[in-house]
Amino acid sequence: MTQTIVIARYNPEQDEKPHHEAYQVQSDDNTSVLDALQQVQQQDPGLSFRWSCRMAICGSCGVMVNGVPKLGCQTFLRDYPAGLVITPLSNFAVEKDLIVNMEPFLEHLSAIKPWLINTAEGTQPHVQTPKQLAKYQQFANCINCGLCYSACPQFGLNPEFRGPAALALAHRYNLDSRDQGKAQRMPELNAKNGVWTCTFVGFCSEVCPKKVDPAAAINQGKVESAKDMIVSVLKPSGAR
Amino acid sequence: MLQLDMDIIVVGGGGAGLRAAIAAAEASPTLNVALVSKVYPMRSHTVAAEGGAAAVTLSEDSLQSHFFDTVAGSDWLAEQDVVEFFVQHAYQELVQLERWGCPWSRKNDGSVQVRRFGGMKTERTWFAADKTGFHILHTLFQTSLKYPSIERFDEYFVLDLLVVDQRVAGVLAIRYSTGELVQIRAKSVILATGGAGRVFHYNTNSGIVTGDGMALALRHGVALRDMEFVQYHPTGLPGSGILITEACRGEGGILLNKDGYRYLQDYGLGPETPLGEPRNKCMELGPRDRLSQAFWQQQKLGLTGDYQGHAVVYLDLRHLGDKHLKERLPLICELARDFVNVDPAKAPIPVRPAVHYTMGGVMTDIDCQTSIQGLFAIGECASVGLHGANRLGSNSLSELLVFGKVAGERAAALAQQNDHVSHQAIAQQTAVQQALLSGMPGHNTNDSLVAIRTAMTKAMEEGCGIYRDANSMQHCLDQLHSLRQRYQVLNVEDQGKVYNSALLQHLELGFGLDVAMAICSSALARKESRGAHQRLDEGLTARNDAEFLQHSLAVQQQDGSIDIRWQAVTITSLPPGQRLYGDCGAVNEGKAS
Amino acid sequence: MSSQQNGRRPYLPPFRRDWWLQLRFYRLYMLREATVLPLLFFVGWLIYGLYSLGQGPMQWQHWLEFMAKPWVFVLNLLTLAASLFHAKTFFELFPRVMPLAPPGLMIAGQWLGTVVVAIGLIVLLGGYV
Ligand SMILES: Cc1cc2nc3c(=O)[nH]c(=O)nc-3n(C[C@H](O)[C@H](O)[C@H](O)COP(=O)(O)OP(=O)(O)OC[C@H]3O[C@@H](n4cnc5c(N)ncnc54)[C@H](O)[C@@H]3O)c2cc1C
Ligand code: SF4
Ligand code: FES
Repeated sequence: MTQTIVIARYNPEQDEKPHHEAYQVQSDDNTSVLDALQQVQQQDPGLSFRWSCRMAICGSCGVMVNGVPKLGCQTFLRDYPAGLVITPLSNFAVEKDLIVNMEPFLEHLSAIKPWLINTAEGTQPHVQTPKQLAKYQQFANCINCGLCYSACPQFGLNPEFRGPAALALAHRYNLDSRDQGKAQRMPELNAKNGVWTCTFVGFCSEVCPKKVDPAAAINQGKVESAKDMIVSVLKPSGAR
Repeated sequence: MLQLDMDIIVVGGGGAGLRAAIAAAEASPTLNVALVSKVYPMRSHTVAAEGGAAAVTLSEDSLQSHFFDTVAGSDWLAEQDVVEFFVQHAYQELVQLERWGCPWSRKNDGSVQVRRFGGMKTERTWFAADKTGFHILHTLFQTSLKYPSIERFDEYFVLDLLVVDQRVAGVLAIRYSTGELVQIRAKSVILATGGAGRVFHYNTNSGIVTGDGMALALRHGVALRDMEFVQYHPTGLPGSGILITEACRGEGGILLNKDGYRYLQDYGLGPETPLGEPRNKCMELGPRDRLSQAFWQQQKLGLTGDYQGHAVVYLDLRHLGDKHLKERLPLICELARDFVNVDPAKAPIPVRPAVHYTMGGVMTDIDCQTSIQGLFAIGECASVGLHGANRLGSNSLSELLVFGKVAGERAAALAQQNDHVSHQAIAQQTAVQQALLSGMPGHNTNDSLVAIRTAMTKAMEEGCGIYRDANSMQHCLDQLHSLRQRYQVLNVEDQGKVYNSALLQHLELGFGLDVAMAICSSALARKESRGAHQRLDEGLTARNDAEFLQHSLAVQQQDGSIDIRWQAVTITSLPPGQRLYGDCGAVNEGKAS
Repeated sequence: MSSQQNGRRPYLPPFRRDWWLQLRFYRLYMLREATVLPLLFFVGWLIYGLYSLGQGPMQWQHWLEFMAKPWVFVLNLLTLAASLFHAKTFFELFPRVMPLAPPGLMIAGQWLGTVVVAIGLIVLLGGYV
């Protein structure tokens, strides 16, 4: 079957700003948006987009499909009988065609100290029960695709907002029974661009392809942040 | 052109590259480490590994037994001193990852849980749900962020190594975002660029697995070792090739032909094990090469089913139940639903073999050092000698860690002693690449990148597939030669500088063609059948230790053709025996150990 | 900037002020946020009522008449609907913020609590005891 798809094109070396172009692609029941883009690239080798695993785990292929952030490899033409418009991820600057600048995302991610902080030395694994694991596991499933940032109007309004994935990752480590770094991460969560920027729009969790539920993580983070601030007010200054 | 100086360059941000970068940063915090990768590190192919990582863990298990399984699995082509080192260090590396936060699956008492895996005698595979590679890669990536001495060069594509007098001097790379050529000098360079599965048509690999690092080394005279051994995974999804992990069979999944018969018992892997009682090394848990070969036989007999024009067999998981599946194999449930529209709790999944892993790679010694001083290679792009003729599932993730650490530390030690090579010495080489690059873009004749690439992958599938013979391989090699000629006059169809993906694909195809030549030439030269290399020619269908208990070394000639040399295999304690599975395997092993 | 020399020219479209009109999900979110408006009216009238009570029976009677006006009644109905909608969304979000029990159980528990409190208030204030 032949289907028409519309793709936003932008060549920074020629175009003033992005414009839409229509392409014909062959599709069957299993044709993904990524497959379709690859077909278009065969017609027009100048088309640029990111992809790698084509199995929804590497997080490369995020695009907007009809205004909603999606993984191209996990979105199928069969679900869009009325046609699709494929545009680059919102709230990020477009570099070329469907490629956006992911640097802000990586900066936010790095800012929350996303590693296990535990000074104890040891040559054996920590003990961690399945129950303790389950507490944070969901938040450890983030593939860094950035869809949630495109879904978040607060990030759109304020690019300094740490954003869903980064805050969810902070929460993941804070919840890990092996971690002792919460005190080091809290200032970032309490800060101006931390959890309190979130107004629980909740669309981030809706679009997340891995059911991480970053909105829940952030709002659990608010509870922690509130506790943290109350404690710091009550504690005599300088005491630990 | 940009010019930079670093102490150490790690090319590749997959499991191997990240582990090496961290090891180097820990060994000498004063050295600056460049982590150069053509994709953001967490996009690397390691992310796709599902099943797990092997290390001797249970008290009833032994290093000896892991050693035996690996060497026997390799069809005696593994370097036994390397295997010894590997099995000794694997456990500590998995613990290290645990201490960095990897969410390994646990038993109720809070200890790490291990599962069965094909070709392994006992449970020794650590896993993190069915996203082991994902969790390993993200744990390593996130951990790497805490070392200030690691500087990332994300989306930089390495197109050449700088080599002066058999000593490495740095790399040349293209910055994808601007198209600029970047010259990075360094005192040691570690290649960790992953495998080359994408030179084949049906494969489980990510799009970026194009053999770049292997070709980079090959072009500078380093030998590629054991390239003829290419592992087919028995259970890829038809069409896309997306992997359905071996863990499905570890959990008790069974393989059926179109008549619902567990055909593996007919191919020396029996007797049939009862449903829900999988036994290591038997039936569905036999080694991958045997399982893929059994598929090929069934196809010849007309006993395979059909899924949209692809020959398939069926992986049946229904007896495991919805709850167990969701808990232990959530990713598989998702993939099956998305890509073949099957709920594994209700219907069997159609599967077929697809290329999965390149056992061979850049030849190194046990310290990961190549024949060029200061140049190391690790992970799937390397041949340190662990896998021989066939890799056991779950050994390679552990390999990334064990040898990643070794290489990182060695590279750091070397960088401490050495100095940079002078700019002058590398100016010439840089100028040549610069000229080549600027000559590439342009309008083209009738040929296209896609046409050449498709012809290559199809030729490899036909000539160097599950079963091979001299005629088909020779035909493949001839085709590769002519494709290489077509490639040489092919232009890049996009003239832009910013994110020119046509240019990168062009360069990848060039790498792929070189690696394909090495695979095919090595396969032609190995006139026996061993592990993943199975020949149909008369007289060559069996293993021939008298002549071929040797590694093949592929060396590139001036004209691009490949010369094959041979290297003896290091055997420390386990003389070649028969490689048997199923019940016969148990008997054989009793004798050997 | 260096981006001029190397060809990069990242394009960031201005953030649309009508972003919340673009998707149904955003509109529902805005509706949830908007439920505070009718509630504000309601609180205003309540305060006015308390004030009237303090001003003596005349004023109180006046307030009662005011509250019985059809348009005020409709507005109050709207407020009820708005707060029920808000309660629904809130009850659904709450288990995600404080995952104390299975979400279904927590949602049911919250509704049960609401009904019990509402009946209690009606009984108490309605003068049935
Ligand atoms: C689907 C699948 C499942 C698997 N499951 C398992 C399993 O369960 N257990 C197991 O042990 N093994 C498994 N394997 C094998 C294992 O995952 C791989 O062998 C391993 O991840 C390879 O890691 P690596 O670090 O060597 O390379 P990769 O992870 O492939 O990383 C390569 C890196 O090199 C970079 N690179 C490549 N070329 C260039 C260039 N020209 N310039 C700059 N950078 C470059 C890439 O950007 C990337 O960062 C699986 C493989 C597949 C395909
Ligand atoms: S939280 Fe979900 S949507 Fe956001 S980056 Fe992670 S996987 Fe993507
Ligand atoms: S290509 Fe990897 S997530 Fe889509």
